[in-house]
Amino acid sequence: MLPHSAGGYGVSNFKRTALMLTLPASIVAISLYAAPIAQVLALSVTEPTIGWSNYQRLFANPAVGRVVMTTLKVSATTTVLTVLASYIVAFELIHLSARLRRVALFLVLVPFWISVLVRAFSWITILRRQGILNSALIKTGIVSTPLELVYNLLGVTIGMVHYMIPFATLLLYANLSDIDRRIMQAARSLGASPAIVFYRVWLPLSLPGIALSTLFVFVFSLGFLVTPALLGAGKVLMLAEYVSIQISNTSRWDLATSLSTALLLVVGALVFVAMRSSALRAVFTAKPQP
Amino acid sequence: MKPARILGATLPRLAAWCLLGFLFLPLLVVIPVALTDRDYLSLPQEGISFDHFAALLDWDNGWLPSILTSAGVGLACSALATTLGVAFTVGAWAAGGRWPSFMRIILLSPIIVPPIIYAVGMVKLWARLSLLDSYTGVIIVHIVLALPLVVLAVGASLSNLDQRLMQAARSLGARPLRVFAKIILPNIAPGIAAGALLAFVISWDEITVTLFITGRAVVTLPRRIWTSIEDAVDPALAAIATVLLLITILALVARALSEGRSGKKTA
Repeated sequence: MLPHSAGGYGVSNFKRTALMLTLPASIVAISLYAAPIAQVLALSVTEPTIGWSNYQRLFANPAVGRVVMTTLKVSATTTVLTVLASYIVAFELIHLSARLRRVALFLVLVPFWISVLVRAFSWITILRRQGILNSALIKTGIVSTPLELVYNLLGVTIGMVHYMIPFATLLLYANLSDIDRRIMQAARSLGASPAIVFYRVWLPLSLPGIALSTLFVFVFSLGFLVTPALLGAGKVLMLAEYVSIQISNTSRWDLATSLSTALLLVVGALVFVAMRSSALRAVFTAKPQP
Repeated sequence: MKPARILGATLPRLAAWCLLGFLFLPLLVVIPVALTDRDYLSLPQEGISFDHFAALLDWDNGWLPSILTSAGVGLACSALATTLGVAFTVGAWAAGGRWPSFMRIILLSPIIVPPIIYAVGMVKLWARLSLLDSYTGVIIVHIVLALPLVVLAVGASLSNLDQRLMQAARSLGARPLRVFAKIILPNIAPGIAAGALLAFVISWDEITVTLFITGRAVVTLPRRIWTSIEDAVDPALAAIATVLLLITILALVARALSEGRSGKKTA
């Protein structure tokens, strides 16, 4: 809050300058982000004819139904596995000595920062029929014919979980680091077993972090293009790749815009529900929590 | 009781380190594949070879032009996104009120709105403005996608800054722009630097929207890698992946070292 009495010149002059500074980025965000997305929404009810016919066709289209089911299945599996794995890693991170924690964080941060394409390529190299894993398994006689590990649901899920874990781990690590450890000491000194301390103290206190990372991972998975497209190779068709095919190959703008709108509405609804949790609100409004 | 307790404590730790291995080790496979002596994706058969790294530098193979394209687009995006983002965040911080809070939500929304939706919108817009497959078109899209990170990085720096500093300068009669340039900017320099770096990385890595709005004229490095993965034969792909992996590792090690040193100094 600015005091309205300070300053040798009018407060309005200062505030006007400050607001002017916000203008260029605002113009860019409105005209080159919000407007193009608004046009997608508008096209979904005007192209090719005005009305809800695109959405009626969307619900009647069996191909779209399959894509939506695949997307939900992969996203749900990815979210559950990712949050579980990330919690285990984050919980270990906060209990490590400073030196070991630096090593462990390094192992999380390298995949976090490396290009998603490099990660997808690594998994293809490992998992494909002539890949490193299948070669090793055949050479050691464990299997006689190569296993189908990629270009299917399994490969996509492995790649997605690998992509999401660093991200969710860092979110959960931040949340767990903020928890006051004296509460656990108090519980221990009152005679609670480690298991009880975990279930009755750690878990409830980390619920906001778990909720936040679940939301982010699920939302990211729903609209994810790169990993499903490269590790699914057309055999595991998820929403984003399906939309891209509608644009690039068949020019079905009605399908592309109505599916995009539906995705945006789902994401918006999820975020709206989550905004009730203070952790997410803090990220977006930069206001300290009460 | 006791073995169960030991198991209860050891098992999660073991699982955590297995998961850390699962995160990191698969990335390393690109290194032996890059060193293969064959001209297809494989492990080295009779010896190692650096030919595929040399191939990256051959202009006609397309890797070097793409690296330069991505570096140029990334620098332009970083400079412009940082300028816009810093001006916005500082202005919003100093002015306060509903408008900046509302705009902040719009500016940050690319973090959560799936990029595929933005891609659909931008294909339409750039087609109408004839900016498909142009440097201008790519740089603008990358700026929009990088702005959230700049706003967050600068915002984090500003939240540590005492507003009374600005009030003191104002009460001594400093003009508004002078307050911003001489008082606020120097104090949030680390946040600005972090924002600029993040903006570059966002642009350098961006693939989803770029895939839709570029064709043959503007081939960024991620786009070149994308095409190459779909073909899945050229070991130069493993070589560029190795280079990117090593840059990431070196950058993280450098940051850890500098943090360790400055940490010791203050301690």
